[in-house]
Amino acid sequence: MAAAWTASYRQLAERLSLAQLARTWDLLLLMSAREVKLRYQETVLGFLWTMAKPLLLALVFAFALNYVLRIKDPGGAPFVLFLLSALFPWTWFQSSIQFSAASFSNNAPLLKKVYFPRFVLPLSAVTSQLFHFVLSIPILVVLLLAWDYVPGPQWLLGFPLLVAIQFLMLAGLALLVASFNVFLRDLEHLVEVLMMLWLYLTPIIYPLSAVEARLGKVVYLNPMASLIQAWRDLFLYDQLPGLDIWPAVAFAVVALVAGHIVFRTLEGQFEVAL
Amino acid sequence: MKSPYNDAEVIALDGVSKRYFLNPQRMGELKTALLHLPTFLKASRARQEFWALRDVSLTIRRGEAVGIVGPNGAGKSTLLRIVSRLAPLTKGKLTVRGRVSPLLELGAGFHPQISGRENAILNAVLLGLSRKEAKEKLGEIAAFSELGDFIDQPMRTYSSGMYVRLGFAVAVHVRPEILLVDEVLAVGDAEFQRKCFDHIEKLRQDKVTIVLVTHDLESVKRFCDRAVLLNHGVVAAEGKPREVVDEYLSRHFEFSASPTSRGDS
Repeated sequence: MAAAWTASYRQLAERLSLAQLARTWDLLLLMSAREVKLRYQETVLGFLWTMAKPLLLALVFAFALNYVLRIKDPGGAPFVLFLLSALFPWTWFQSSIQFSAASFSNNAPLLKKVYFPRFVLPLSAVTSQLFHFVLSIPILVVLLLAWDYVPGPQWLLGFPLLVAIQFLMLAGLALLVASFNVFLRDLEHLVEVLMMLWLYLTPIIYPLSAVEARLGKVVYLNPMASLIQAWRDLFLYDQLPGLDIWPAVAFAVVALVAGHIVFRTLEGQFEVAL
Repeated sequence: MKSPYNDAEVIALDGVSKRYFLNPQRMGELKTALLHLPTFLKASRARQEFWALRDVSLTIRRGEAVGIVGPNGAGKSTLLRIVSRLAPLTKGKLTVRGRVSPLLELGAGFHPQISGRENAILNAVLLGLSRKEAKEKLGEIAAFSELGDFIDQPMRTYSSGMYVRLGFAVAVHVRPEILLVDEVLAVGDAEFQRKCFDHIEKLRQDKVTIVLVTHDLESVKRFCDRAVLLNHGVVAAEGKPREVVDEYLSRHFEFSASPTSRGDS
């Protein structure tokens, strides 16, 4: 009797976990696709905005920084390439966190009516922004080729590796911010400003060496500094990330663990707070 | 699909209690909290408890249709929310075996900007189907909801009736093993209501477990195998629908033998 019960329980657990995993994956795909679709829906350019927006942003920055402030890449790369190689990954980072912040609170009606793996909501903000990021890579490649920078085979290993590190980091941060935002809606506004600050703290629009000389190793306390530098080294100089990327990896692990714990702890309170 | 739990208990509540706080401690606006810190802290200590369910034990077997009756605030909806895992329990143990489809509010999560078709697929996956299964079911869902060409229009163009029809169609076509129904059938026109009831009847013949929360006592007597009377979060009576309904009426309306209940077939 007890054995039979155990056996059937095990069977159930297996069926649930496998089916559950597949279903969660489907859910993530559909949610991300919906978000991609909704983003530029009912605009004249529609999908073109995915590529046009980062490009226009780059033009604005290039004008302000290169033409007005005369910032240059110490490595001698053309400024547009220097900028975009860091700005595109940063845009993925920033917009993921911004869109995920309100992902629970904006979906209150859904969360109150149907039970499903809820972490899919903030995660789909990250994946849909990853999609936009991947689509911006051809722009970068075209520009690189225009200046005779030919992408090397290192990209094949380096690109997925950096995507993985940044994805894990974002997954943790997205869960963290989205969970807290259910109880403290001020957070989604605060995040917007903080991301702006973080942008200027990170060597995106200026070279790492510019601040490293003055601040020393302190700049590496910002985990995004090493990650962005790794993206830039890969895109511009075909360099695979080295061991000095450890702050980003460590931060990704911490963010993931913290996000998981906070989400698990607060999830039970969603029903009264939403 | 054959479930491996023939005649097994599919829902088991064991001493389940659910506590809410009447003024839930919310951080709310940071500003208010900071400006009124002393009162804020005092208020959060003095929050009042409210037990929506107290020590409820209940087992429901596969294929049963159980009606939950009781006055407003008795805990009926809380019970459904707990079974559908929307509300975590404060105390006790809950076992649910099988796919639960909550007919709590139809079309929750439909997005007005995308088409009925895409919404139906996403909703079906939310309710537990895989993407592949959802696409296969789409034909049936579209036919049942009688939307015609509107299925490919964005849902902001839908009337409220169309909205609810699509919601119901999705909810009953996800091959639920347990269907939770909360007063939702009072929507749509009479003809569609009948269609919904017919469909639920069909699901019942397929051994789908049904938990029905309603104030329509006649439908409980007609439709359910068993009824549970909740009062102030406690199970006050349980048994044959007719007896439980009579008990309910005599308790709450002081009718001795329920003269208002017409003879049922």
